[in-house]
Amino acid sequence: MNMWKLLATSAVAGLMAQPALAQDVTLEFVVWNYSLETVLDNIAKFEAENPGIKVNVTDYAWPDYNDSLILRIRGNTQTDVVYGGQDWLPAWGAAGFIAPLDSVAPAGAVEELSKDIAPYALTDVTYDGKVYGLPYYSDTISFLYNKKILDDNGIEVPTSWEEVTAAAEKLKAAGMDKPIIYEYDQELPNFYDAFVAQAYSRGAEMFDADLNPLFNDPSNGAYQQLEWIADAWSKGLVQPDPHESTIITAMNTGNHAFTIVYTYVLAALNDVGSQPLAGQFAMAPMPGETHATLGFAKSYVVTAQAAADPARAEAAWKFVNFMAGKPYTIAERWAVEKGLGFGQLPLFEDEDVIAAWGKWADMADLGAQAGRAKAGTYTEFSSMWSAYFRPLLAQAMIGETPVADVMNSGAQRWSELKEQFANR
Amino acid sequence: MTGRLHPIATFIFALLILLFSGGPVLLSLYGSVVPDRVLLSPNMNLLTEGPSFETYRYVFTGQLPDSYNAEGANRAMISDAARQVPRALVNSSINALAAMVLNIILGAPAAFVFARYVFPGKKISFMYLILSPLVPAVALITPIYILLQSMNLVGSPLGIILVHTAKALPFTVLILSVFFRKIPGEIFEAAMLDHCNRFQTFWRVAVPLALPSIGATGLFAFMISYSEFMFAQILSGSSQTRPVSVVMAALARNTDVSWSLLNTAIFIAIVPTLALVILVWRFVVEGLLSGSVKG
Amino acid sequence: MWTIHRYPGLWLLPALLPVILLTVYPIGHTLWTSLHEVMLLFPGEPFVGLRNYQRVLYGDYFGVALRNSLVFTIVSAPLAVLLGTLIALFLQRKFLGSQVVRSVVLLPWVLPGAISAVLWVWVFHPSFGFLNGLMLELGLINSPIGWLTSPQTALGAVIVAHVWTQIPFVVVLMMATLSTINRETLEAAAIDCRNPFKRFRYVVFPEIKSMLVVLLVYNALTAFTSYDVVYAMTGGGPGTATTMLSFQIWRESFSMYDFGAGSAVAFIVVVISALLIVAITKALPSDLFAGD
Repeated sequence: MNMWKLLATSAVAGLMAQPALAQDVTLEFVVWNYSLETVLDNIAKFEAENPGIKVNVTDYAWPDYNDSLILRIRGNTQTDVVYGGQDWLPAWGAAGFIAPLDSVAPAGAVEELSKDIAPYALTDVTYDGKVYGLPYYSDTISFLYNKKILDDNGIEVPTSWEEVTAAAEKLKAAGMDKPIIYEYDQELPNFYDAFVAQAYSRGAEMFDADLNPLFNDPSNGAYQQLEWIADAWSKGLVQPDPHESTIITAMNTGNHAFTIVYTYVLAALNDVGSQPLAGQFAMAPMPGETHATLGFAKSYVVTAQAAADPARAEAAWKFVNFMAGKPYTIAERWAVEKGLGFGQLPLFEDEDVIAAWGKWADMADLGAQAGRAKAGTYTEFSSMWSAYFRPLLAQAMIGETPVADVMNSGAQRWSELKEQFANR
Repeated sequence: MTGRLHPIATFIFALLILLFSGGPVLLSLYGSVVPDRVLLSPNMNLLTEGPSFETYRYVFTGQLPDSYNAEGANRAMISDAARQVPRALVNSSINALAAMVLNIILGAPAAFVFARYVFPGKKISFMYLILSPLVPAVALITPIYILLQSMNLVGSPLGIILVHTAKALPFTVLILSVFFRKIPGEIFEAAMLDHCNRFQTFWRVAVPLALPSIGATGLFAFMISYSEFMFAQILSGSSQTRPVSVVMAALARNTDVSWSLLNTAIFIAIVPTLALVILVWRFVVEGLLSGSVKG
Repeated sequence: MWTIHRYPGLWLLPALLPVILLTVYPIGHTLWTSLHEVMLLFPGEPFVGLRNYQRVLYGDYFGVALRNSLVFTIVSAPLAVLLGTLIALFLQRKFLGSQVVRSVVLLPWVLPGAISAVLWVWVFHPSFGFLNGLMLELGLINSPIGWLTSPQTALGAVIVAHVWTQIPFVVVLMMATLSTINRETLEAAAIDCRNPFKRFRYVVFPEIKSMLVVLLVYNALTAFTSYDVVYAMTGGGPGTATTMLSFQIWRESFSMYDFGAGSAVAFIVVVISALLIVAITKALPSDLFAGD
């Protein structure tokens, strides 16, 4: 049905024989399918302000996003602006798939905007010293708990991982089968992110300044955290769950007290519109000596394909700047409507954001956590390595493989890849 | 099938089959009329609260469930992808119908000659057809994508239909050839005596006799296309032409989809196709049970 | 069987051409890729012969993926065919409500894999799952069982879900086959032979043998290369409990950016699938390919 309409319309258009506008560009925008209607609405606003530029959206499900983009690269499908993930950015940069924003933006514009970007977000959008993206969604990983359950059982909010174990054991003794629910899907990058966040909370680093692995040292915080997780598992305190969406439902049964997920999940957990236990969930600083956590940024990125064509490059920059540049209206919209975190510092003081977020979180806590957040280590080969390492982590957690073996295998593979890529 | 079975045994078997095949779907129906706050609470259930159709209302009209109008609720925290389901259903059905029709038209003649004739190159053609699905689809994603991209079919339903047709054809031909084989030789000999040529034999004799089997095989091709996800995902274009398998996969993995909403989408996705399948199936079964092949 | 002296192109090509189009180039491309080093992040694609195959075979996950895939296949294919055939035999009778049962049996078929996965996750989920809820209520267990999250039961759980999706297909085709059995033959057999099992063995079974083989082969192939449902239910976990070869292909290609290795795994799967098919057709000979 649509095809006929399309054919008919083109026939009529052809008959009318309009001369093409000099600036008629259609940008191909590729996203993962979170809240597509909002994206389309934002685009409509952009198109209204920029006649001559149209934006065509293609969306993929998040778990298939990276594969679909790779297919598009290999198949040479026109792709202009994409959502970028911090773990893939260096690889794409190295593959020459994406372009530094400076190559499409007016001089100094990117530098100006960079000043407003939170440190961990800025690290995530930078590759090889150049900025490749502007933040779309930037967030931290949080330790969430059910206030009511803790209050009912007389448990203090845990401030160290040992206290978490103690609290979970107390809850288990009182009848809660699996107090901790943990997002456990080795195919998703977030599985690794959550682990790194926990390692950071102990003040540990995964790699040193020369990118040598540190985590296979038994005195390293990451090593100890993996031991902690395996220990909690073996004590029957942890329930694995394949996805954050089912974690939201599970937490709302009141059968679990703790979890570790992206902060925006808290907004969904506390959503009065759909969740029975909305309002009972809160965020606590990551247990561990430094209470640090992982911060990350997803961004708008321009492809090399677009940058190569001057007309497209200009249109692409206008689009990216509209979505993520001053006055940050779109970012504010995501924050207010969907609880999506942002990487643009001025929004922390935005009244609408504070008002909206106050409904499901404590703004002061969030701001403090953002201040403690650190970016992850991403290199050209880190996402390949992460795909290799995640199943090993998964095995260690359930006790299938000893922690030492997992860490050593991971370190070895990292070193191998590092050498392979150094000789590229 | 003759032979009697004790009525209670019959009842038990029937019940088991119903529970096993239909159980998960019933669960889905249950979940769709029970909002999360009732579903997840140990005290309330369908009987105490009554069914609620607010999620259905949302999918079809966009009107938010009442709980979203409560004080402090976030009105935007509900997925709009769920509203794509009715449209996606139509898309999937169109793709599947096209694949089914193509499979029957292209596959039946081939199955017929495989079943009843010997000719040079028969073995190799048959082998090729049977062995072609051996390579896992996962490995072929990239080259097929590149191929369709070069034909400009990426993003168009035609691309999906082509892939689905090719995917089902080997099995369609194989299965139909089994059925054509089963038709007794005497019937064809009679046709030959009446001076029917090959096509007439096929069209006037074989096809009518095998019609229920053709129906069953067509259903099979329809199902392969309707439930296929991998290629539908990478070849689907805009959300307007997207098939339902892709929409459902996306819904299952987003955080702004409540469990109840997800089940509503599932149930909406099931019902029309189920109705279609039952209709075709009744036709097929009636044909089969009345015995299409007389002595 | 009659003979045609020339290749009946008009009859065959309409079916063969789409298949050829979507197999020759793709399979050729995949084969070529498996023999070269094709990594997304490295320019150039040098010929490396069988090195990809070597690397894959000796890699960490291959052994366990192969074992899981084989177990999965060997259990689910016969199970689906057996259950489907039993149900088809049962549904030959007319009884009160048989129409309803015949329709309900088709339900799993109507669902795309992603949806079946969601439904079965609901059935098996420890926190709000139906099965656990029921068993707890009946007092069979004291605490919920993590069907999908404990390595011992995960594979079994996905097998159940997979078989569930495959049964309608077997039922439909088996019912169609059963209907082709000459009614008079059946009636004569009912008179000659009182024992229903003997009737089945000597009268019914020979007629359905060829379809059984076809169904077994198809189910084995589907199970061996299955991807959608298992992936959506467990992501290959816990640990490596449900990691299968089809994952490996995907993981090598798209997660590790190594298309050469992914393609190598694919061809290893081809070889094993071919062996499986040969094994099945040798074990259950049918007259499918014989001449009259």
